[in-house]
Amino acid sequence: MTRKREFAFLLLIVPALLFYFIFYLYPVISTFAHSFTDWSLLQRSIHFIGLDNYRQLFNDDVVLTGIKNSIVYAVIMTIVQNALAVPLAVALDKNLRSKNVLRMVFFAPAVLSPLVVGFLWSYIMSSLDYGPLNQMLSHLGLGSVNWLGEPKLALYSVILTQVWQWTGWAMVIYLANLQGISKELFEAAHIDGANGWKTFWNITLPLLVPSITINTVLSMIGGLKVFDIIFSMTSGGPGHATESIVTVLLQRAFTDSQLGYASALGVLFSLFVMVVTLLQLRLMKRWEVS
Amino acid sequence: MSMKKAQRPYLLELSLIILAVIVALPIYYLLVTTLKTPEEAAASPLGLPHHWTFGNYAEAWNMMRYPRVFTNNFIITFFSLIGCTLLPCMAAYGFARSRSLIGKLLFVAVIAGLVVPFQIALIPLYKLISTLHLMNTLWAVIIVNISVTIPFNVFLFINFVKSLPLEVEESASIDGSGVIGTFFRIVLPLMQPVVASAAILNSLTFWNDFMGPLLFLQTRDKAVILQEVYRNIGQFSTNWTAFFPMMVLGVAPLLIFYIIMQKYIIKGIAAGSVKG
Repeated sequence: MTRKREFAFLLLIVPALLFYFIFYLYPVISTFAHSFTDWSLLQRSIHFIGLDNYRQLFNDDVVLTGIKNSIVYAVIMTIVQNALAVPLAVALDKNLRSKNVLRMVFFAPAVLSPLVVGFLWSYIMSSLDYGPLNQMLSHLGLGSVNWLGEPKLALYSVILTQVWQWTGWAMVIYLANLQGISKELFEAAHIDGANGWKTFWNITLPLLVPSITINTVLSMIGGLKVFDIIFSMTSGGPGHATESIVTVLLQRAFTDSQLGYASALGVLFSLFVMVVTLLQLRLMKRWEVS
Repeated sequence: MSMKKAQRPYLLELSLIILAVIVALPIYYLLVTTLKTPEEAAASPLGLPHHWTFGNYAEAWNMMRYPRVFTNNFIITFFSLIGCTLLPCMAAYGFARSRSLIGKLLFVAVIAGLVVPFQIALIPLYKLISTLHLMNTLWAVIIVNISVTIPFNVFLFINFVKSLPLEVEESASIDGSGVIGTFFRIVLPLMQPVVASAAILNSLTFWNDFMGPLLFLQTRDKAVILQEVYRNIGQFSTNWTAFFPMMVLGVAPLLIFYIIMQKYIIKGIAAGSVKG
């Protein structure tokens, strides 16, 4: 009887497992295996070449730029987004009359396609005469800025766009967490004479740690994987100034047909994401305890 | 003292409203530019249009073959959603109740997928899809969508299943109901709230997905909305405002869905993320 039940439990697992093994796990393992080969669409045979691809990665300037950009991108986006989303959520948790409308507006950018958001903001930040952002700056008496054309600035312009799009998402997660905190805690703090700042640092922020963990992990991983928005805003340019790991990976694989080499980049990339995720969860856990 | 307390939220509210206006400006710019000529849009980007013409929309609608691509988007999202909720529900129940070692090992294998970014699988996946003759079919995107979301959804659902009381299932099994019958008749209906939040989270991802269609759908009759938007960027260098209705048509379905369903969407996202 229990044997039959156990068999039925396993039977329920099978469909999901088939999809997962065939279309996810197998390709991942295959990428790993191919990362040690010279697999290319330009030649018929595949040869084992050991760690050559990996060695080459560290001499490939575009790859190194992509890695650096993805890190800068993920870290800055995570910090700015959460630094804005926490106070926003705390404010919206108060008894405001326009609370629902405000929440709806702040979250709205998150439902737009990142591809379209990228196109839209490349018009907004355009350095041609119609660019509304520069027009606004000149109305304020400030000079115009080459948002996407200046190599040193372009990455930060993309980050700004992403912050606009995703801060509302983080805010919603913080709000859900805040709504789970008993209001009595705040009342008690108020009676004890704690002011707004003290209450925020000593009560609100520590209780927000679970959602801070979720949000920072989500935006770090999202930042490291960034593709659509860069594809539509800058295509990795000017030069290679805004290239990310995934844009380089897709170029090496599908434009240059260097599949083995791109696989090695993929392996490096996922090691990266894994380490960052685990490290972050670890750090956050320590913070949660103390 | 009480005066001060009553005043403070008003000031806060006013500054939040100003901030909301700033956040909404890009969306306003997107909408208002669709009704302008390039000259008008350049002269005053944020001003209201002089005359309201919707001709740009009609042209965009035809150029994008909107009914066709909308249907493709819908089919992909619909079938992906069924697969990405039903299969992980079944699996989560099986994993939660299985006592065998093999069940536990398989669970670890599935959960490991949580830390592996999907992009690493793209190259072999591309080859696999063409070997299976699924290239340029909507099924390719649907299958990939389902497979990629399995680890997270199993993870999300299993915590929910574990919180369900065992008594209901036990009484069903005394009544002679088998495991699979109990799952479909009793457990699955109970999972509705968590399935709803997963469905909302995933529907946004599936609908807005660009990389999957870009890789697996090549012809125009199989394309999704965003591919048609992408095709037309740069087509209008002089008459550049004509591209704006296309962007609007690109984001409109989800934006309208969001405005109607916003309470559920926000709730679903919060619940899905916090539990995940």
